Amino acid sequence: MEQNREAYMAKYNEKTHFYGRIGLWIGIILLLAAPFLFGVSLDAMPDLGAFGKGLAQIAIIYIPSCIVEFLIYMPMLGAGGSYLAFITGNLINMKIPCALNARDIVGTEAGTTENEIVSTLSIAASSLVTTLVIAVGVLLMIPLRPVLEAPALQPAYNNVVPALFGAMAFKYFRRGKKLVAIPLIVMTVLFICMPSLIGSVGFLMLISGAIAIAQAFYAFKVGQGPTSAVNAGVDGAKPSAEHKPDEGR
Amino acid sequence: MSILDQLSSAPLYLITGAIILYVVAMSVFFLVRAWKAGVAIGMDKVKLRRAVTSSVTFSILPSVSILLGVIALSGNLGIPLPWLRLSVVGALHYETSVADIASRAIGLSGLNAAEMTAKAFTTIALLMTVGIIWGVVCVAIFGKKYHSKLQRTGDKKSGGANFGDMAMTAMFIGLITAYMGSYIGQLIQVKGGALVCTGEYLQLVAMGFSALAMGVFSYFAEKKKMAWLDNFSIAGSMLVGMAAAVICEMIF
Repeated sequence: MEQNREAYMAKYNEKTHFYGRIGLWIGIILLLAAPFLFGVSLDAMPDLGAFGKGLAQIAIIYIPSCIVEFLIYMPMLGAGGSYLAFITGNLINMKIPCALNARDIVGTEAGTTENEIVSTLSIAASSLVTTLVIAVGVLLMIPLRPVLEAPALQPAYNNVVPALFGAMAFKYFRRGKKLVAIPLIVMTVLFICMPSLIGSVGFLMLISGAIAIAQAFYAFKVGQGPTSAVNAGVDGAKPSAEHKPDEGR
Repeated sequence: MSILDQLSSAPLYLITGAIILYVVAMSVFFLVRAWKAGVAIGMDKVKLRRAVTSSVTFSILPSVSILLGVIALSGNLGIPLPWLRLSVVGALHYETSVADIASRAIGLSGLNAAEMTAKAFTTIALLMTVGIIWGVVCVAIFGKKYHSKLQRTGDKKSGGANFGDMAMTAMFIGLITAYMGSYIGQLIQVKGGALVCTGEYLQLVAMGFSALAMGVFSYFAEKKKMAWLDNFSIAGSMLVGMAAAVICEMIF
């Protein structure tokens, strides 16, 4: 039974890579073609000199960021989830927290077969919702615009990401209590003393992430196993003892 | 016809719509495959359904904020390009800044409709696309090899300690603490050797109230056996945090 399951998943993963790669390459070609198709329609092709100049500025910042995202997020999302998440975008502000939330609710662990399935379902559902909301929003843009752009509501929209991280902080800080203090203090002191770095928070999260991972690794190694890591306040994605994922369904 | 009318003309909508439809088809294909695989390996259908429903409810609010990003950019770039950029590969925090860098690189004073030309627009569109596409290229080229390596690492540890899972939790804690630190840094800064309060506190208000609401949701889900609340806990907490920001702005 277990062998059948493993054989099935091995075949499933192989096909996921096959379809995923083809899907991404077609997507890449379509995306790169779009500006030129716009150019044909508008009778104005991109200025490649200006493009080169602009790319030099953008590449320094965003190419390393994209590579880091690939290295960090693929283990979180699994194969199917990654192929979808990277082509649909909005990773950090939606897809990653969404997949982790689904994983948490269903009660699967990173790297498992179940997590591969849950992650793909989560990201596919999330992508479809976003596409639908934006498509409906674009269609209704004119009548909706006065409501959506009401000055009174702007603080809400400007603070979507902090609100998201607040909710996630409660969940994750509970799970890894002893990992929070040092990276938080380091980051807070850094940003208070060097406010010009606030715009680079996407890069600096690598430092706080490295600190938290080093602490988790230390707790894991010193305790010679997961039990001690749990005791150290690092219980991974396991649901808390009193919270069974399927209760109340 | 004004430049913004040209940038929102029917052919541009058609090009954008076709690419977005392709991505929708890809999402549906992967969703159906994953569902079938889940059923085939004996996963509980209730769990699969919960994965989908929780993700749907989770995604609604962030999607509205992405829609607002489309609206915000549409004032300078028309509707089709922001729609495409924020539906495929793009990211809310990335697009506005790159559009601005691209505008300056091609000689505009910044991203504004007054100086926009069709040539500037197509150049900006190409820059926005090429600038962010590298993650997708990495997954397309190295994804299979990297994933296989990760699986082998996981297999070696199967049945024993799963540090990978803990590392993911730690990485996310690192991410949250970095953003939390940046919000504190936006409120309190060292300027001229002295600590200065800038008055930018709304991020911390939104974050704090959202965390508080999450605590309430968790209490009911765990202690009162209302696990179904989990499906709405993130979206509900975000609403509370965002509402708190609006109320604070009105009062203070």
